[in-house]
Amino acid sequence: MIYDLALNISYHYPQDVKDARHILRVRPRAERGQRLMSARVTINPDPTETGREHDFFGNAIDHVLILPSHDALKVTMRARVEVTRPRPDLGLTPTVAEVRAAAKADRESGGGGPMHFLGDSRVVRISEPLSSYAAETALDDMPAGEAMLALSRRIKADFDYAPGKTTVDTPLEDAFARREGVCQDFAHIMIAALRGIGLPAAYVSGFLRTIPPPGKPRLAGADAMHAWVDVWLGPDMGWMGFDPTNAMLALDDHVVVAVGRDYGDVAPIDGVMITAGPQKTKHTVDMTPVLV
Amino acid sequence: MPSSTIDVARATRTRRAGLLDGYAPPKGVFDEMIGADGKVRPHYSQLVASLAAMSDAERGRRFSSAAQYLREAGVYYRVYGGSERGEQTRSWPLAHPPLIIERSEWAALAAGLIQRAGFLEKLVADLYGERRLIRDGVLPPAILGRNPEFLRPLAGQASDGRPLIRFIAVDLGRGPDGRWWVLGDRTQAPSGAGFALENRVATSRAFPELIRDLKVQRLAGFFKQFRETLLSLDDGKGLRVGLLTPGPANETYFEHAYLARYLGLLLLEGGDLAVHGSSVVVRTVDGAKPIRVLWRRLDADFADPLELHPRSRIGTPGLVRAIREGGVDMVNALGSGILETRALLAFQPALAKALLGEDLTLPTVATWWCGQEAERAYVSANRHRLSLARAFPQTVAGEERRRPLDLGIRRAEPGGLLDDLDRDAWDVVGQEIVGLSTAPVYVDGKFEPRPVTMRVYLARHADGWSVMPGGFARVSSSTDPLAVAMQSGGHSVDVWVTSDRQERQVSLLTRSGDASFSRRLPSAPPARAADNLYWLGRYVERAEAATRLVRLHAARLAEGERKGALEGHVVDLLDDLGVDAKKGGLAAGLLGRARTAFNTASRIRDRFSPDGWRSLGEVVDLIERHLAEPEPGDLVALASEVLTRLSGFTGLVHENMYQFTGWRFLQAGRLIERGQVTAGVAAALSGKETPEGGLEALLEFCDSRVTYRRRYSVDLSRETVIDLIALDPLNPRSIAFQVNSFRELLDELPGMRRGETLADVSRRAARLAVRLATGDAREANETFLNRIAADLGAVSDLLSQRYFTSGPTPGADRLNVE
Repeated sequence: MIYDLALNISYHYPQDVKDARHILRVRPRAERGQRLMSARVTINPDPTETGREHDFFGNAIDHVLILPSHDALKVTMRARVEVTRPRPDLGLTPTVAEVRAAAKADRESGGGGPMHFLGDSRVVRISEPLSSYAAETALDDMPAGEAMLALSRRIKADFDYAPGKTTVDTPLEDAFARREGVCQDFAHIMIAALRGIGLPAAYVSGFLRTIPPPGKPRLAGADAMHAWVDVWLGPDMGWMGFDPTNAMLALDDHVVVAVGRDYGDVAPIDGVMITAGPQKTKHTVDMTPVLV
Repeated sequence: MPSSTIDVARATRTRRAGLLDGYAPPKGVFDEMIGADGKVRPHYSQLVASLAAMSDAERGRRFSSAAQYLREAGVYYRVYGGSERGEQTRSWPLAHPPLIIERSEWAALAAGLIQRAGFLEKLVADLYGERRLIRDGVLPPAILGRNPEFLRPLAGQASDGRPLIRFIAVDLGRGPDGRWWVLGDRTQAPSGAGFALENRVATSRAFPELIRDLKVQRLAGFFKQFRETLLSLDDGKGLRVGLLTPGPANETYFEHAYLARYLGLLLLEGGDLAVHGSSVVVRTVDGAKPIRVLWRRLDADFADPLELHPRSRIGTPGLVRAIREGGVDMVNALGSGILETRALLAFQPALAKALLGEDLTLPTVATWWCGQEAERAYVSANRHRLSLARAFPQTVAGEERRRPLDLGIRRAEPGGLLDDLDRDAWDVVGQEIVGLSTAPVYVDGKFEPRPVTMRVYLARHADGWSVMPGGFARVSSSTDPLAVAMQSGGHSVDVWVTSDRQERQVSLLTRSGDASFSRRLPSAPPARAADNLYWLGRYVERAEAATRLVRLHAARLAEGERKGALEGHVVDLLDDLGVDAKKGGLAAGLLGRARTAFNTASRIRDRFSPDGWRSLGEVVDLIERHLAEPEPGDLVALASEVLTRLSGFTGLVHENMYQFTGWRFLQAGRLIERGQVTAGVAAALSGKETPEGGLEALLEFCDSRVTYRRRYSVDLSRETVIDLIALDPLNPRSIAFQVNSFRELLDELPGMRRGETLADVSRRAARLAVRLATGDAREANETFLNRIAADLGAVSDLLSQRYFTSGPTPGADRLNVE
């Protein structure tokens, strides 16, 4: 499937800001079933400096510096991506216990190595209630892939999808206790739960198909940037995406932008500036299939 | 005379017996002073003999000369928690005598330390480079993957081959067998080297002849070499080197300021820096100035809010990227704190074999990492004879605050780490408890054996590592070998390493090989420092003005004058200056003003002499003592004394501070404040409504009574008074004098050359000067004076805008996702 992607992020500052430095993580990744056909980022006002590089996890990063005073910032990203992810046979994945043992022993120390996704990170902390939650569903002798899908379904069933009830700063423990949240909370909850039972889990930010294929329901989270979870299923299977918000595998309807230990590693935009107050922000996304 | 010689000898023997009376190190413990045979070790004999020959009074005199030095130098550190005030400043607890180490023993120790430093350098280079130790299975993956000090944005930083560590410390303890053991490594931002220097100066005051006779090795050469290394890292560009500090709130800020001054480095905070392209610049009052080398005393996680801790307010956005691009060299590299991971000690033999191909000669305290099942079981079974500690460095978010001077040795206590053995075993290590050696500490006329640890410093130069010959030892306040922590009431002692030859004195003021002489002007101060200097000038002046008003007010009350309308005016004026007569009283108000000035000075201690800083501290002490007395003393006398001390500060600054850019900002602050306050007071005390005595009070406030009497008659007229204190350009107390002097200073500030287009602040000041020069005392009514005060406020704002731009702060510009 080929998609056209559009992301618009805008900020309005009640008072002028200056000396603004941003990091953008908005370009789709080119790997694991994704082919990046084109991608373009535009920034308004014109940046004083820009720079591009890839981070430790292999995400594409845009550095932006805007020195002059400005009262608004607009970032747009346009991309065309081909996604080909065949549906895997989850019954053939190694068991939960096997994945745990393989993860502990794995020596790949680069950004894709499971060793980086087993412990606490800035946002995600392992805690007893979360670990027990995972252990109840992901039994040691289950094929790990099936266990992950089961856990995704349980999260969707147990939690209310409630936009506006939580923010980026809501601790995942709160969302867990209240059994509500949005994609980001669900992803963090699933990650903390899996790390608690020794399974490597990563946070994925990306896009979700806006209009569903005929006859299928519209997916939750398609109006903004979406988040789901990558789980490492052993050295042969590698990483596989699960979307707890929609209780499904992340296949052809999902486009990966950035992968990290939690939201802190992959936030679409981070910034530091001389500012005098709060700001208004808005962002929209569109992901439509290209008919070829 | 023979008989008296005998008496002296006998007296000395008795005193010596007194000094060592009851000195009994615990059984099975190595004592630094007394050998197994019960005799004083040879390298201690001279110290013992010398101290024994002194009377108690003489010893007391010497110890207090050391203490006095430390007090006068303003040596202090901050202590977190424990008190109701939450945080307090303590003076430096130096104990005596120094720990003495004999030179041949030191040489062996130094060789072991140099080997260890080389080992650590290779270890960190692998972790931030190829990571072969992980790939080859020497280290378990979790040691890297779960390590909060593994900074992923800099995961490849070792690839260019530059050493990632250049200044480290090793904590050592001596076991019962007499060998020195490594207790831990300090590689993030090791503290204490500056305190070691200060300890040495203090002990030199106390025991000058002993230092000479024992040929104690000097420390200056080590620092001189380190400084030259730092200066050489900019590839010959001749740029200044910065010392990056977390700021005045840090517990060892004094040390940062001290080392910056001692080594001639720019003391910089994160907000002083900006990143342009891939280079780092200092925001100075003269624009952005490049910098290539930073000696870092800031914990890595705080260094860049954009790529590291997002809530850090003391970092520099973009710094991590500049490091990746090679635009700046950090000493030590961000992320080198990973070497402080205690779990690494459990793998040390294998690591040494892999990295060096040989064993480390210095033994390390036996360590078991509980992230492995067999080790966890062992530690659990032996929990009562081991100490437990965190396996990984604590992060900012961690519950435990980092304590730079704390060894982190704790007894296994239920409810703490013991519980974690079952839940979070990966973050626990069990460690053999090292029985520390004891060293003598002088307490109440006698030596007492106290457990001791020693921190030793190493620096990396172009041709390898060198060890500072001495260090920083800590003695416990009790005999419990686990209680050696400065935070819980221990003391420090100096470390003396003997030698066989007298060293020449090395001064850091001259650089070897610098044959040519050239006078160099100081570089422009960072905008933050200039801002603080400017406000220091204002606050000192404000404190002085408030004190004058208090004295005036108190004197009138003391003379039995009835509360009248004039008093109300003075109370209002005091209120304007932040002294609330109703709340807590006048002295309490003055204390607030004095503290504000003192705190501002504390933020820029590297910028002027310890004497100046101390004189402000004395003002605070003076008022505090006054307030602490059950019967409050004479307020007039207090005010007079405060004024004397304040003018002492002014004198010191004026006489001793190099009169360049920094001094000019301080001066500018004083002039603006004095002009503004004088205008305000004059308006209040000379108006139509002003009751009797107002003009007299005004003259007194302006210290211009004598001048007035000499120039005019004894009769007071409003016009002549106003002319003298507002318009007369020759009266150093007049507003016109302040404005004219300010304009002269302004011309000398960076970017303000005469003849060029005037900056806003110059134009505004010029207009003000004209108004004062052409003013007529008869027109200079309340409105005129109030407008002058407002204009001075505007000039101050324009000056701030022009020179004191601050750095950006992290914004909460994060996106909510769905």
